[in-house]
Amino acid sequence: MNSATPLAIQVQSVTKSFLGQRALDDIDFEVARGEVHGLVGKNGAGKSTFMKILSGAQPPDSGQIIVGGKAFKALNPAEGRAAGIAIVYQNPELHLDLTVAANIFLGAEPRKALGIIDEKAMSRQAAELLARLGLDLPVDKRLGDFDIADRQQVAIAKAVREKAHVLLLDEPTAALNKAQAEFLFNLIRDLAKQGMAIVYVSHHLDEVLEISDRITVLRNGRKVAVVEGRSADKDGLISMIVGRTLDAVETHRSVAARTDPYLVVDAVSSEDGLADVSLTVGKGEIVGLTGLIGGGANALAAVIGGLDHRNLSGAMTLGGKPYAPRAVREAIARGVLFIPEDMRGRGLVMSLSIAKNISLAALKSLAKLGWLNLPKETGVATEMSERLDLNPRAPSREVRFLSGGNQRKALLGRAIFADGELFVLEEPTQGVDVESQRQIHDHLRSLAAKGATVVFVSTDLEELIALADRILVLRGGRIEQTLSPEGLDPQQLLAAIQTQSTRSLN
Amino acid sequence: MSSPAASVASSTSRKPGGFRSLDIGRYTLLIVLLLIVVVTAIGNPRFLSVNNLMNILFQVSALGIVASGQTILLIAGGLDLSVGAALSVAGLATALTIMSTGSVTLGILAGVAAGVVVGAINGMLVATNRATPFIITLGTMTFLQGVAILMSGGSPINGTGALFNVFGLGDFLGVPWPVYAMFASILAMFVILRFTTLGRYAFAIGGNEEAARLSGIPVRRIKIALYALSGLFVGVAGVILTGILDSGLPSMGTGYELRAIAAVVIGGTPLIGGRGTVLGTLGGVLLLGLVSNSMNLLGVGANFQSAVLGLIITAAVLLQKKA
Repeated sequence: MNSATPLAIQVQSVTKSFLGQRALDDIDFEVARGEVHGLVGKNGAGKSTFMKILSGAQPPDSGQIIVGGKAFKALNPAEGRAAGIAIVYQNPELHLDLTVAANIFLGAEPRKALGIIDEKAMSRQAAELLARLGLDLPVDKRLGDFDIADRQQVAIAKAVREKAHVLLLDEPTAALNKAQAEFLFNLIRDLAKQGMAIVYVSHHLDEVLEISDRITVLRNGRKVAVVEGRSADKDGLISMIVGRTLDAVETHRSVAARTDPYLVVDAVSSEDGLADVSLTVGKGEIVGLTGLIGGGANALAAVIGGLDHRNLSGAMTLGGKPYAPRAVREAIARGVLFIPEDMRGRGLVMSLSIAKNISLAALKSLAKLGWLNLPKETGVATEMSERLDLNPRAPSREVRFLSGGNQRKALLGRAIFADGELFVLEEPTQGVDVESQRQIHDHLRSLAAKGATVVFVSTDLEELIALADRILVLRGGRIEQTLSPEGLDPQQLLAAIQTQSTRSLN
Repeated sequence: MSSPAASVASSTSRKPGGFRSLDIGRYTLLIVLLLIVVVTAIGNPRFLSVNNLMNILFQVSALGIVASGQTILLIAGGLDLSVGAALSVAGLATALTIMSTGSVTLGILAGVAAGVVVGAINGMLVATNRATPFIITLGTMTFLQGVAILMSGGSPINGTGALFNVFGLGDFLGVPWPVYAMFASILAMFVILRFTTLGRYAFAIGGNEEAARLSGIPVRRIKIALYALSGLFVGVAGVILTGILDSGLPSMGTGYELRAIAAVVIGGTPLIGGRGTVLGTLGGVLLLGLVSNSMNLLGVGANFQSAVLGLIITAAVLLQKKA
């Protein structure tokens, strides 16, 4: 970057904490006009918090943001927009029942007399704008009739119409195919040429390297490097993202030979993108699934957990018997317990107590003819709280008052109480403190040691290495690589996840 | 750390669920209740007579039964706007059956069955459609109003014989039978909510439907069961109201849906579900009864009463949002 190029946005020593944990620590960041600036880091490195602060969705604790010649202690979304900052998510926030033109001009429609919207002028101006951007979309069609790639283009066109000069793109290619991604990149380059500053956030390092003039690397809430896109390479980026790993990640694998197959997945394909996946998991084994977003790890977990059961091909067996659950409750009846990543939205019933959440999946075992044995429930919950070191040890306390780590333990307790034989977990320790993470890992290991089987999805490199007996990297709905965590370095793992995808651009 | 935590556990585990959620909204209700009692008692000493208090309980008895059933629906994140019209249909089924067969027993069965069937149909529609319960039961409410008019031919079906002798005139130890029926309904719902899997599933579905599904709860089946259960209460209320009136009328249930939902909400059950108590609902029912009775005694006109009722309902909902 030429140092004479004027800055479009400048962030000075921004800091943000959540519940005493530093999410962002003294971040300086700047993007020049006409620059494409990549932002990379592991999950939890602070990327999304940083984007939220840039777009005004959250205020920083300290520091300032200088944009459009004005300094802000904190932006709200309206101020952010007024200052020319626009954000486009991977699934843009648009109105699917309005036309393309109406979406582009929402809130700023050209008017005729009496305030009536001038539809003709709006369509004409929208068509002109799209033509200028090299986009070819019929402006009078309903947006819901277009695919995600087109919607993204409409969102970007809207940003241009709003005269945004800073455009934040959050995982823009996650749902695009190769040609669509290519098209998006050309659009980004054109916009940059016209002077727009673009912040490009993605896990796809190949893409970030291809499109970015400069790349900022975040790790544990700190900025660890800013590198020139031209001179950077992937291995270098990976080592900066992961950091120097002085201590090998502790692993606690049990030595028992696991030859007894428990779950067999045979050539399963699904509408959610699984392509001919075969997998055998031994009794007592802990298998970690990973990959980039949309790679198939979560889709595979959903199939095993009984959540995704429509239009599957292939077959599964569990404990030697055919396994084809048509509902989650059929999976639970076979001892397969799915524990979602989204605790608040999909896991816990926040208005109920710890005890009632723990007993929920096996309430019938506490009841006779529909009549609940409440003292027994309290006893079970107390026992489980002690076993999982749940804090506070008060089964009647509503779960919404618990910390994230204890909420995850309560969910695990529910699965254990439901006689889980196979635990399917998504991001089992996301957002929990280090101590709770260690405890949850210990619990999963001791379950496995007692003969339970664990399949978990994670994007946390250290967690995968520490917990899994075997790590499967999924890409394009297939298991592309199987890794042993023994002696595996987080950098090697990240490199494996980042290996040229089928959709890669190079 | 462990000793205070343990004491919390032991002190709350014995408490009945009905009293646990005493919070800001609930205290407001109690204060309003007391204020009404004091103001009216000063204005009219007759208000606090046993006779008048019994009269109030008698007047709200059918409402209390309907509201008991509605409580579990709101806890489960549901709602049934058709309960008023269903009450008319159940009452007419009772009156018509007694008229044509002469059998009070068959009449009672017909009324209760009508309530259950209508409830189950509502439940099936709600469980299998994406439309909100509000819209679905608004539709069935309008349909059932038409059915009630068709059943009655537009005029009252008079004469219920023994049913009138029991519910309209009879009492036990000075307390009219419908009042016993109301307290029995409240008690039954209390037991269902606290001691049965069905009640627990209602809380879970209302609190987080997706979490309930992922815990293996057959959400659709439970929803159908809950609407049918509420329908059972509506059917019972229809039978009793028919006895009280000694006739079946196409308009006998008009307005019950709003007053029942209001009683539940005033009683502290949030419209979004996931929590709530039937004892709170009893409080809401009594509040509505006290207000209209005190306005009667103070000589407030009917139109003004309706406005006051509306204000109370609105205030209850607004207070709840804060709490």
